[in-house]
Amino acid sequence: MKEFLEHGLNQNRRKFLSKLSLGIGGLALGSLMVPGIFDASNEEELFTNVLPHFAPKAKRVIYLFQNGAPSQLDLFDYKPLLQKMQGSDLPASIRMGQRLTGMTANQTKLPLAGTKFNFSQHGSHGAWFSETLPHIASMADDLCIVKTMYTEAINHDPALTFFQTGSQVGNRPSMGSWISYGLGSENKNLPAFCVLLSKGKGNGQGVYSKLWNNGFLDSIHQGVQFSSGEEPVKYLTDPEFIKRTDKRVMLDEIAALNQASYDKIGDPEIVTKIQQYELAYRMQMAVPEITSLQNEPESIVKMYGPECLIPGTYAANCLLARKLSENGVRFVQLYHQGWDTHGNLPKEIEGQCRDVDQSSAALIKDLKQRGLLDETLVIWGGEFGRTNYCQGALTKDNYGRDHHPKCFTIWMAGGGVKPGVHGETDDFGYNINSLPVHVHDFQATVMHLMGIDHERFTFKHQGRRYRLTDVAGKVVNEIIS
Amino acid sequence: MHFKKFNQWGEGLLWLLNPLLIILAIFNDSTKINLGLAWLGKFHPLLLHFPIVLGIGIVIYLVFFAHQRLASNLEKSLFVGNALLATLVALFGLFLSKQDAYDKTIVDLHKWGGVAIALISWGFLYIGDIKINWKKGLGVVYLLVLLIFTHKGAQLTHGEDVLSLPHPAPAVAQEANKIDSNITVYEKAIAPILEQKCVSCHGTEKIKGKLQLNTPELILKGGLNGNLLNIINNKEALLLQRIHLPNTDEKHMPPDGKLQLTLEELNLLSKWVKAGGDFKKKLNELVNTDTLSLLANAYKAPKKGEDNNKNNSPDLKQYNTSYCTVYYAYFGADEVFVDFFQGSFYKSASLKKLEPIKDKVASLNMQGMPLTKEDVAMISSFSNLRKLNVNYSKLTLNELAPLKSLLKLKNISICGIDLNPTTLASFIENAPFTLVHIWNNKTNEKEYAALMASNKKTKIIIGDNLDNEILKITNPVIEQDSSIIVNHLDVTLKHFMKGAVIRYTTDGSLPDSISSPIYTKKFQLTKSGTLKTKAFKPGWLSSDVIEKTFYKSEIHPDSIYFVTQPDKKYAGKGAKTLVDYELGEQNFSGGKWLAYKDSNMVFITSFVQPKQLNHANFNAFIDMGAYIFPIISIKIEGSNDGKSFKYLNEAKFPSLEKTNMFRGNKSFDCSFPANKAFKYYRFTLQNVKKLPVWHPGKGTPGWIFVDELFLD
Repeated sequence: MKEFLEHGLNQNRRKFLSKLSLGIGGLALGSLMVPGIFDASNEEELFTNVLPHFAPKAKRVIYLFQNGAPSQLDLFDYKPLLQKMQGSDLPASIRMGQRLTGMTANQTKLPLAGTKFNFSQHGSHGAWFSETLPHIASMADDLCIVKTMYTEAINHDPALTFFQTGSQVGNRPSMGSWISYGLGSENKNLPAFCVLLSKGKGNGQGVYSKLWNNGFLDSIHQGVQFSSGEEPVKYLTDPEFIKRTDKRVMLDEIAALNQASYDKIGDPEIVTKIQQYELAYRMQMAVPEITSLQNEPESIVKMYGPECLIPGTYAANCLLARKLSENGVRFVQLYHQGWDTHGNLPKEIEGQCRDVDQSSAALIKDLKQRGLLDETLVIWGGEFGRTNYCQGALTKDNYGRDHHPKCFTIWMAGGGVKPGVHGETDDFGYNINSLPVHVHDFQATVMHLMGIDHERFTFKHQGRRYRLTDVAGKVVNEIIS
Repeated sequence: MHFKKFNQWGEGLLWLLNPLLIILAIFNDSTKINLGLAWLGKFHPLLLHFPIVLGIGIVIYLVFFAHQRLASNLEKSLFVGNALLATLVALFGLFLSKQDAYDKTIVDLHKWGGVAIALISWGFLYIGDIKINWKKGLGVVYLLVLLIFTHKGAQLTHGEDVLSLPHPAPAVAQEANKIDSNITVYEKAIAPILEQKCVSCHGTEKIKGKLQLNTPELILKGGLNGNLLNIINNKEALLLQRIHLPNTDEKHMPPDGKLQLTLEELNLLSKWVKAGGDFKKKLNELVNTDTLSLLANAYKAPKKGEDNNKNNSPDLKQYNTSYCTVYYAYFGADEVFVDFFQGSFYKSASLKKLEPIKDKVASLNMQGMPLTKEDVAMISSFSNLRKLNVNYSKLTLNELAPLKSLLKLKNISICGIDLNPTTLASFIENAPFTLVHIWNNKTNEKEYAALMASNKKTKIIIGDNLDNEILKITNPVIEQDSSIIVNHLDVTLKHFMKGAVIRYTTDGSLPDSISSPIYTKKFQLTKSGTLKTKAFKPGWLSSDVIEKTFYKSEIHPDSIYFVTQPDKKYAGKGAKTLVDYELGEQNFSGGKWLAYKDSNMVFITSFVQPKQLNHANFNAFIDMGAYIFPIISIKIEGSNDGKSFKYLNEAKFPSLEKTNMFRGNKSFDCSFPANKAFKYYRFTLQNVKKLPVWHPGKGTPGWIFVDELFLD
């Protein structure tokens, strides 16, 4: 049979193999004409070299992350019905079997809790704000308020990780790392992604460095965490006896050694190391000039609030964020802890608002008056919302709220977003009535504002292409100006 | 040559060339070819007819004569020859496609068609003895592939209507580039745009959405979604709606992936439609200064197939330095953005270097750069500049005046520059600016109200100026973690605001702004007392009083032991924790506190020699939210044998009210008659046995947290 077949096809193994060698020759010849065809790293370059994919609306992002999840019902999403129904049980028709956290799942009653604060409308879009945020409310006409964010996680860590990396499991690159990877640093003397932390007096939840991790991207894209002490970047000053030129020579020699071992081993982390040393060397010159808050005029200090001169406060971080951003840091990420108001909400939230209200508003004003707001996207929001019912005992003037992933409010300003109010929740503030925005949609939109098509911006790792928005996400065109 | 030899060589060559063809076809976009190969490409149109004719011949043979087989060598030679020609033609075609820009969709179809033809031709070598009907079928498929895809090629060179019936050429002027005085706006600038970017899907070839855009009549007719150019129901004309949708929108035209409209083209189409979408309006009938006229005159129709979105942009690497970043606005854009950073490293040379691309710079950020007049002259030559930031550039408004000549400059930021309403008025007079940011620490909204009211064209952003607002200055910081003075203790005071003055007292009085000493440098505390500090600054309200109590440890017991044991979680380092000169911290689980809940705290201090005491002071932690309440009472008894104790005194303390949710350290004092010395002293500190009703833990005992005992 084999012979018949071979005869019929005029082919046998020997002939096939000898011809195949010619074929391989042909392939080889072809590959000579396609530069970089067998060069794996070039493949990724193909993805980043075409960035931004289209005209960006924003050049930079300042993300004011309100860690712990601020209560939308006491700040932005005004629900008078809850005040009317104060104390009555959350109807099952509204809850619709939504899973609860272990903290309230065993409560026999889920008593609705109306906000204790007075609300009023501000700006030309009539956006509602509670009395705890007078400064932010005064900027209403610059804010794009998204009332219909929703997420998949109900606990802090997965929810934070989801917001920052697009996955609840923490091994993916953070949003800032993606931006750093895609667009690089504007100012070569500063990292593209900086992280600033502060803490309020409210019930806090930790932040972990995995939130600004580079994941599978080169570690040069990792967020650089600034210290909250008086020296934002430690060990920048050289010891007395080391001259700048000596240091240069030393770095050159180390770089040569590193290069040699890279040539031998080929680990890309070695190249990253060389780049990091270089960046640190350049940061020595740039950082002290940029991070010094002492020379800010008094009028700016008054705008952010006098606390902005005290290192490690949210106000100081806002001011620092402006300075880093205007000096070309692509992505400045702030975290302010203390919003996890399970109990004693009225008092805690007032404290948190005192920490952030004036300086968040000042940041927008300040960028605006310098002509920078149109190219800087400012984002303010937490990782999920809070329940419309009370956790623990509901009293006349005290209540607490548990985690609520099904709707919450964030706002953005500048950088190509359209001021106004997006979406609507139901009268109970529990479900979304119109225009829901998933976390992946939000991420896709931020990418879009930076000129990146989130679907085309991928990184291949362990045989799979990854992107910030995983396999979902739709740009929310309605909030883009 | 023998057929056999030819067949052998030919077959080998095919095995070499076909993989080459495949790889080049796959990576066509990133292939780089040299001059020689480019020249070979020119043979594509010459050679292509051979395999077509030969191929058709083979089809005829396969379909009608395959049953009367040719001599196998001859048949094979026919196949080999055909396959070789088809492969070479396809290869040359790939080379040719690199040289001229053609419509990418058609080129792609033609490319893969060519590859398919080459591969099927190659496959004929190995069909051997399959059934006649199979051969016939294969022949027909081959013929179809051959005809369809070679036709695509013909469309590339002879136009898309190569095989349609001859018809009179439409009025769409092919010679639109000629500036003819009688040419219409439509012919000059609109038709070429539609031709290049729309007609491939909305033309004679394809008629998507029943819309054709190749003649004025057809455009007026509209498509499935109706009229294109008129405003209907107060909505923008359909054409404009579609082209202005975001790229990600499904209805955006041209669709994602197709050649997009440039900004210039978008403007032209908008202006033309808004001016009525008139097909007859001649270019010379428009007023010279009319935007549409300017745009239309400036518009150069691209050559067929030319992609005016992705011009051969020069590499910008050479313009970049460590302090100057020069980049295209986005991939394929012609506009360049330039950012300068860190003024102390600014060099004019970096700006001068931009000379070759000065017409491309659309946005320039020079915030904080110490600019000179020459720099301003240079910037004034950036004719396409739209946005400029010269905040804090140390120039005067007069020196910036040359920027007014930049007709496209709309958005300018001049913060930190000295100005007043008069100088600003003359600066924006006859200037192209529509948005000016002028904030500095002297500007104030009222002064500019008149100017803003009279000047509608330019929006002036003044920003907030809070210089005159009077706020409270932040509190001073006492930099000394320890509160216990052993011999002496160094204390540093600190304030983060420049020019703030700290005054302090150590005698318990409140610091005032006149007589209290001003802090200048580190000082020493040598005795117990409360340090009170307060910050002052002209133009600010003074700060809160920040105080800290320091204790001098005068008397140290020789030993100390518990009568009741503290809670296991908060047992510190045993009884000596009380007198270890380390005060408990704000974090009450830090291991420096002794805590009791289920019993009173009872302990005994002993001295080798009887010691006379008259005062005991306890430092305790209070956090009612965490069930940690103040001490209720302190009882002190003395003894010389350690067995029978004599009552000395008991101090009682008021409980805190519900409203006072205090959290922090508090000291509890107890004095007693100082008339006798004892070896042993027994201390009994009572905790709250039942928390009050208002507390969530009502009825259960409260904690006391104690650390450090001071005796004298």
